[in-house]
Amino acid sequence: MDAVVEHLTEVEEAAEDVLTTKQQIVDLDSKRNKNREALNALKTEMADSEKVKVCFGNMFIKFPKSTTREMIEKDQEQLEKEINDLHKELKAKVNHLNEMQGNPELRGYNLSPLSTGEIKAMNSIFKI
Amino acid sequence: MPRAALKPLWSGSHIQSMSLYSAHSQAPGLRPPPRSLAHSLRDAHRRSELVHVQQPVRDKQETVVKNQVEKKRAVNTQSQQTEKTARRFSPDTFPLRTNQKEAPHSHIFTSVAAEMAMTPKVPEVRDIMRIERIGAHSHIRGLGLDDALEPRQVSQGMVGQLASRRAAGVILEMIKDGHIAGRAVLIAGQPGTGKTAIAMGIAQSLGPDTPFTALAGSEIFSLEMSKTESLSQSFRKAIGVRIKEETEIIEGEVVEIQIDRPATGTGAKVGKLTLKTTEMETIYDLGNKMIDSLSKEKVQAGDVITIDKATGKISKLGRSFTRARDYDAMGAQTQFVQCPEGELQKRKEVVHTVSLHEIDVINSRTQGFLALFSGDTGEIKSEVREQINAKVCEWREEGKAEIIPGVLFIDEVHMLDMECFSFLNRALESDLSPVLIMATNRGITRIRGTNYQSPHGIPIDLLDRLLIIATSPYTEKETKQILKIRCEEEDVELSDEAHSVLTRIGMETSLRYAIQLITTAGLVCRKRKGTEVQVEDIKRVYSLFLDEARSSQYMKEYQDSFLFNETQTPTMDTS
Repeated sequence: MDAVVEHLTEVEEAAEDVLTTKQQIVDLDSKRNKNREALNALKTEMADSEKVKVCFGNMFIKFPKSTTREMIEKDQEQLEKEINDLHKELKAKVNHLNEMQGNPELRGYNLSPLSTGEIKAMNSIFKI
Repeated sequence: MPRAALKPLWSGSHIQSMSLYSAHSQAPGLRPPPRSLAHSLRDAHRRSELVHVQQPVRDKQETVVKNQVEKKRAVNTQSQQTEKTARRFSPDTFPLRTNQKEAPHSHIFTSVAAEMAMTPKVPEVRDIMRIERIGAHSHIRGLGLDDALEPRQVSQGMVGQLASRRAAGVILEMIKDGHIAGRAVLIAGQPGTGKTAIAMGIAQSLGPDTPFTALAGSEIFSLEMSKTESLSQSFRKAIGVRIKEETEIIEGEVVEIQIDRPATGTGAKVGKLTLKTTEMETIYDLGNKMIDSLSKEKVQAGDVITIDKATGKISKLGRSFTRARDYDAMGAQTQFVQCPEGELQKRKEVVHTVSLHEIDVINSRTQGFLALFSGDTGEIKSEVREQINAKVCEWREEGKAEIIPGVLFIDEVHMLDMECFSFLNRALESDLSPVLIMATNRGITRIRGTNYQSPHGIPIDLLDRLLIIATSPYTEKETKQILKIRCEEEDVELSDEAHSVLTRIGMETSLRYAIQLITTAGLVCRKRKGTEVQVEDIKRVYSLFLDEARSSQYMKEYQDSFLFNETQTPTMDTS
């Protein structure tokens, strides 16, 4: 009985882990989208010479436009990297969860994807 | 509970119940289509669309269920918890949509959408999904082995033949593990001892992802194609290649589209597109090109769309449920879908399984995939094959592809001639070679096209490479059991006495003849408005239809009255 409870707890933890990672990805993506909106706004909304107000926590600070853009772009890169890492982690975690639940491992999961050119060549088969 | 109806519920603790684990392990509508030996071509293209990613088709019924679920959620916190636990087993951020309608005629490839996803477990035993015509082996569902590979006396439509089934089971496991490739197995036995049934059983238990191609020995003789070409096409149909496609997509419900056209009428248009998921909302600036494709797709507020990041291709998934009441007059084609969950920019991974033959075909012809349909693939140049082998091997080295050696089944293998046998000898040594299973009912006989005698009509050097499984004639009890299974399969009720009589006939004539009598007796019984086949019905059809022995007896007696009769040749000559 104890063993069952223990096992269930473990499975539960693994599942929770998967969900947390997923939520993290969602949160990061939402941040990424906000940054993207900001970059677009910087590009189109105002003249280059103007300074912009940037919100840090609960405070607005005026910054020159170019610095702001650099800052956001750097942030964006960081986010992309983090999301990528999380995706990779998630794969391992889902595999772990599958294993604990006794489900078969996902097939073709660890393959690296074909390049776009290669996919294009194969597409005529897929699309039938 | 439809999966898509499950909304992410985050906060709070939850209760986990064990039953929910299994509740999700088998998703409905994911049954692969059944397989029949007669459709070898269809078999080769293992078509079981597991998951449809881009075309969610939901029927009205499901809609109702969803609405109910949503109502329930509003009032019942307990159900929230259950839903959360259920959601846990679909930790895919990209919701997997299943499409029941498309499964039966489905496509050539197994495509599994796995965006960080667990695909639902595919049931081991293939269920018959559509009404199929009753074939000679339609009752076979597998090899009827338990987990320890011990054969059960009667299981999955298989009866008796314990030793051969066990042997087949061992080979099956080796195939599944991918341990053997380029090996050959021969199933040998008298007619009507279940050779084809064992091969069918192997095919059924292999699962949807391992290619299985079946052909009869005489199929390869054609005027349009050389024998070896036909054989090598079958070989390549039996080898699968698994590849993965990865795309970044933006998926969301359109909240608003705003397009500013310049007053002059010409010049660049600019616009904004607001997309949302259940978790977030964002605004995209639109360029000229994007605006064009949006208006081409007639995207409007309330539509759920996906945008392929790499190509910019927009596809409409349907209308959001929340906008269901916007218009009363709605086309029948309007599909309603849930507002997508999770992040807006998703990564979609799709795993395809294609056979080498399919890659050959698209590369060998200018008209491309059309050849797959017309069936007229013609001969494929060996250079094309070599190039494709090289490419596939390169992909394998780079970790981009997995090779799945499948199974090629050749029934009536004694119909092959010397050329084919020597081709087989060589083809088995290739590094891209499937497992070859052959079946024959011949004893020591002439090899086709030669004057040499050899066991099973197969040259000794090839025989030497084979693992041979022998089948033995069924006992009376087993015959009775098989007849019972066939009666169930053909939906004929048989009285006990009739069953015994039929078994007797089966033992004295042949099992096949007895099985034929089931349907005919069933018809006779229905004619006299009976519900159960009685001994009289059996007697009637027994007198109406001759078995092989009685027919030859008749021939012997009356051969003088037939045309062109000659003195009897001792045995049938097939070569």
